[in-house]
Amino acid sequence: MNGSPHIPDWLGVLASVVLVGIAIGVSMRARLGLTKELVVAAARAFAQLLAVGAVLTVLFTRAGLIGALAWVAGMVVVAGFVASGRARALPRARTIAWIAVGTGTAVTVGVLLAVGVIEPVPSVVVPVGGMVVSGAMTAAIVTMRRLAEVAQEQRADIEARLALGLTSEDAMAPHLRRSVTVALLPAIDSTKVVGLIALPGAMTGLILAGVEPIVAVRYQIVVMYMLLAAASVSAIVASRLCRRALFDDADRLRRLPGGSPRM
Amino acid sequence: MSIPRRDWAIVRPPDRLTTMALAEAFTFEGVVLVRDGRRILDGVSDHVHRGETTAVVGPSGSGKSTFLRLLNRFEDPTEGVILLDGQPLSSYEVHALRRRVGLVAQRPTMLAETIVQEVRVGRPDLEDAAVVRLLERVALPDVRLGDPTSTLSGGEQQRVALARTLALDPEVLLLDEPTSSLDDISAQAVDRIIRSLVDDGLTAVLVSHDLSRVVHVADSVLVLHQGRLVERGRPGEVRYLS
Repeated sequence: MNGSPHIPDWLGVLASVVLVGIAIGVSMRARLGLTKELVVAAARAFAQLLAVGAVLTVLFTRAGLIGALAWVAGMVVVAGFVASGRARALPRARTIAWIAVGTGTAVTVGVLLAVGVIEPVPSVVVPVGGMVVSGAMTAAIVTMRRLAEVAQEQRADIEARLALGLTSEDAMAPHLRRSVTVALLPAIDSTKVVGLIALPGAMTGLILAGVEPIVAVRYQIVVMYMLLAAASVSAIVASRLCRRALFDDADRLRRLPGGSPRM
Repeated sequence: MSIPRRDWAIVRPPDRLTTMALAEAFTFEGVVLVRDGRRILDGVSDHVHRGETTAVVGPSGSGKSTFLRLLNRFEDPTEGVILLDGQPLSSYEVHALRRRVGLVAQRPTMLAETIVQEVRVGRPDLEDAAVVRLLERVALPDVRLGDPTSTLSGGEQQRVALARTLALDPEVLLLDEPTSSLDDISAQAVDRIIRSLVDDGLTAVLVSHDLSRVVHVADSVLVLHQGRLVERGRPGEVRYLS
């Protein structure tokens, strides 16, 4: 298994265009009307990955740890835009997403670096940071969307609790617990079945790069644990911030766009 | 602001004439509420008297539910002020205010699995005996504390929600269309309970779109139309847009 990794050269990449041709052929034959979409998708993937590859090459050779962390911070910013776009009804959604994803990422990557699990070099910090940001973002999106729905659909329940003199924190407690649970279930489930259903990305990459599977699993175990941490921290932070954003200073549930007004 | 607490079992019902003579519980001074550019309430000035049942009636969209929601600060006026015992509502700590001014919604949401848990939502420290007393107070003497709330009828849920609010020892009860979704027998039972609570010294404010539903229980009636207070009087006196 050791030795030089078997990675296709540019001629091989060119040959793989045949596969896009097969997809286009299927689309045309079945009259799916997806030919243009397939061509655009294939071209975009080529251009985007080429650009990312070039940027990462420069980053890995010249940026150092600070540059790598700045890159991860940039990913957090982008993740915040994506997450807030999925929960537009929520007040201060972008700030919530940034803080939640940023905290989940900072805690997880910080612990990994602090205890020496990962090397403080860009070629490790950037890809690991990317996975962490992605996991934190998914958890933040699920939490934020769920709580925005709760605020609209469970208004009667929440107001019944507030009318009994409960604080917004107490009135929302069952909903916050449920939202965070829902956000964490995918990370927990994929941790439970890892390796049984499909070989996960990091491990697959290492095996393709020529690393012994028994060595590759060490990395994958760390990846699964860090994704659990990133999702947990991100979901908890997002839920707390959402709760604050959903209520005003008199502990009233705000009306969100799309909610039904009362007369 | 300290909140006086009472216990249903030990407080002797006050003399009704004495409570009637007491001053206003709530005072509305030029209250305007604008939402989404629309004046939901438009310059309402009036009083809600202590120890009375005040019914707020009006057609759909008249602002009557908003009137109720102003009293426990689920809404705040855009203009004007609402006073409770002479002090602006906003000067009270809001959670203490909501325990003092209890709201029962039109279609009560059950928040717990069993009846005893339901009554304890706002008062987790309540003992079983106190829960039983509260259920007797709302004419549900035969239910079992461990029964699931999901099997209760609409009228029974309404009364359990009332018991849940009474567990807070409120001074004022706000009732949003308390009998509109109930059959006549259940509605009469709820009316009797409201009447007896007010006889025991509580102040009740109830909202209804139907004057005939409140005429037997109300001491005074406020009529709202398009956000304005258009009439006030004893139940037999108001014409309610006739």
